Amino acid sequence: MNVVDKLAAYEDQISPGISACVGCNVELTLRTCMKVLGPDTIFAIPPGCMGGVGVVGWDKQSGAKTPVFFPLLDNVASMLAGIKMHYEHVGRKVNVVAFAGDGASVDAGMQCLSGAAERGDKLIYICYDNEGYMNTGYQRSGSTTKGAWTSTTPVIDGVGGKKQNKKDFPMIMAMHDLPYMATMSPAFIPDMVRKLERAMVESERGLVYLHVYNPCLTGWGCKSDESIEVSRLSVETNFAPLYEVGDGKFKMSVDVKNPKPVREFITRFKKFRHLTDEDIEALQALTDRKMKRLHELCKM
Amino acid sequence: MKFVSDYIVPVGAEGLKIVETGKWRTRKPVMDVEKCVRCGMCLLYCPVNSVKKKADGSFEICYDYCKGCGICAHECKKKAITMAAVKEDE
Amino acid sequence: MSEVKVINGNMAAAMGACLCRPDIIAAYPITPQTPIVEYLADFVTGGRLGSSVSEVESELSAMSVCTGASLAGSRVFTATASQGLALMYEPYFRASTLRLPIVMAVANREMISPQTLWGGPQDSLTVRDAGWLQIYVEDNQEILDTLIMAYRIAEDKKVLLPINVCFDGFYLSHMSERVEIPDQESVDAFLPAYAPEHIILDPRRPMAVDPLTNGYLLTEYRLKHMMAQQNALKLLEAVDEEFGERFGRSYGGAVEEYRCEDADYVMVTMGSMTGVAKDCVDEARRAGKKVGLLKIRMVRPFPAERVARVLMGRKAFGVIDRNVSFGWNTGIIYEEVCASMNRAAAFVPNIPFIAGLGGEDITAEHIRYAIDEVMNHAEDSVKQDTVWLNREDKGR
Repeated sequence: MNVVDKLAAYEDQISPGISACVGCNVELTLRTCMKVLGPDTIFAIPPGCMGGVGVVGWDKQSGAKTPVFFPLLDNVASMLAGIKMHYEHVGRKVNVVAFAGDGASVDAGMQCLSGAAERGDKLIYICYDNEGYMNTGYQRSGSTTKGAWTSTTPVIDGVGGKKQNKKDFPMIMAMHDLPYMATMSPAFIPDMVRKLERAMVESERGLVYLHVYNPCLTGWGCKSDESIEVSRLSVETNFAPLYEVGDGKFKMSVDVKNPKPVREFITRFKKFRHLTDEDIEALQALTDRKMKRLHELCKM
Repeated sequence: MKFVSDYIVPVGAEGLKIVETGKWRTRKPVMDVEKCVRCGMCLLYCPVNSVKKKADGSFEICYDYCKGCGICAHECKKKAITMAAVKEDE
Repeated sequence: MSEVKVINGNMAAAMGACLCRPDIIAAYPITPQTPIVEYLADFVTGGRLGSSVSEVESELSAMSVCTGASLAGSRVFTATASQGLALMYEPYFRASTLRLPIVMAVANREMISPQTLWGGPQDSLTVRDAGWLQIYVEDNQEILDTLIMAYRIAEDKKVLLPINVCFDGFYLSHMSERVEIPDQESVDAFLPAYAPEHIILDPRRPMAVDPLTNGYLLTEYRLKHMMAQQNALKLLEAVDEEFGERFGRSYGGAVEEYRCEDADYVMVTMGSMTGVAKDCVDEARRAGKKVGLLKIRMVRPFPAERVARVLMGRKAFGVIDRNVSFGWNTGIIYEEVCASMNRAAAFVPNIPFIAGLGGEDITAEHIRYAIDEVMNHAEDSVKQDTVWLNREDKGR
């Protein structure tokens, strides 16, 4: 079955009406992931955009058809580990899944995620990286790109923005020697579906980490209909390359032969509007350096 | 959802919380079936799951929860979808 | 058949937990609780215990794994102390507000600063208002027996709350004494399997756990939570009695009254200091002094009515706290006792004592001194400050 037919046939596991921003590609990512993972799934939505828009529900109603819960910002992986341990203990196969933002994953929740990865807890951990604490008003996180405006790294009279580089979290997770680690993009849905299908198999051996780069329309400043186009640009510029690592073997999922300049991606967002040519060149150099490293790893 | 709790704990088991996001729309996508080549890109990229595939293989837009983001129109390579203004009475 | 062994408090806790057959154990080592984690690992590796164990990377994750496993329907066990308990505060509060019957042993240890390793219940007493049930015990036998009772109480449908069984670090955790260990069959008969109905994460019964909740509903949850705590207070008395019938040992329920019937003066104690305090009461009795002792076992919920009933009408009482209540210039239990007396509209002259902080010994000298103070100076010490033992000439 082709991907369109699959996704047309799979049941949407999320409430049809959630209050995500118009055009939000995280909503697309969530619905796609949960369709593929199916009803035999328990998933965690920590504090963040998807929690805020009601995926865990309101009062006595749920926001999803499958069991869903609100872990703490900093204990997503370990709370899931307990759930998975229960199902292993009673001998039932259930997908135990995190759908967490970058704040809950690369910042506050990093310790327990690293612990679960090291112990081999059999989880599927999906991080939607929108580069900050977006639902509380766009504060910076460890995953915010250098130079970006956020509400805690303001730009006044053209001066300011985040001073540090983005944490390369997919690489950090890959170095845990997981059964499977992959990056995904909402602009490459067939690739995402394939990786989710593989994740369900590989997670029987340990933790699977999936990192999705999700440009945030509201927080970054971009039009809603361009949601997928800018996501695609993040891949086509090598700014957020699509690759996967299975048992230590690196492989490009989408090998961009003639990458576009990073400038084409950067200049699409208000949060980068104040960047100088030198700033953008520095981001290009960083992207090139990381890409070279990634290609070297793929040759190993 | 058949689970019934006596609600001594915070659980959501009385059906789905559904926000009427269709009311948010300021523009609506309109599909020109003549131009549609049935590639399904609109279905793949609709964030709200509002594009349905019919038994005859054609696609249609369901407006119940469509927020009018315009992704489907923007992504359609054949320009088979256009964004139209929402009238007062819609 | 039960067997008798000479074991330390940590082993008593591990054996008590083992007899309750938890499905999942997640614990992170911290002095003085560390041997519990090691003993349980030995039990599981050796095949004596069929639990799944998570060797977590922190106490935050220990409580989080327990929360997750309990939400999925497992019986769970963990143990901690001091800074470890402080680190788990976030999921700790949540375990109670999600009404998860987690049992956690606490080998009580002082809180830093200054850097300290030694015993004292400051750690768990500080989090007494986080919605858990808390029981403090006197000796190693009581650790083991109370853990078994703890699961019965926590998992009861009228309660459904997590519970701490707290014992003084080093004084009990590392001290060996005679402990009678019940046989598995008797414990199984006393403690039925856990089957959650109020909350569950299971694709066969889909539900959302912890949706965004408005204040009117949160108010209902809080009210029910507090009613459940009061239910636990009643249930403890019944469970303790039934335990006594089955196993030949009971502990008085929420408090133990020792030689209180005709006492003019009552000393209020908690935890391991109670042993020496009972000796001093006996000694005072031999000298013709009408002294009794009230041992506080349950701190949450606080057995206010029973405490007031015991203390009402006496000539004076004293409370010895091995902890401080910052802001009150006294100990925490003293404040709890005073609140109980106030609620019962009863006043009895009294003296608060603070002793044994940071694992300092509370000796017979201290207790004798405290009894003497209560007998001779309570009347005129109504507005006096707390008497700090282990200082200068105060019985040191």
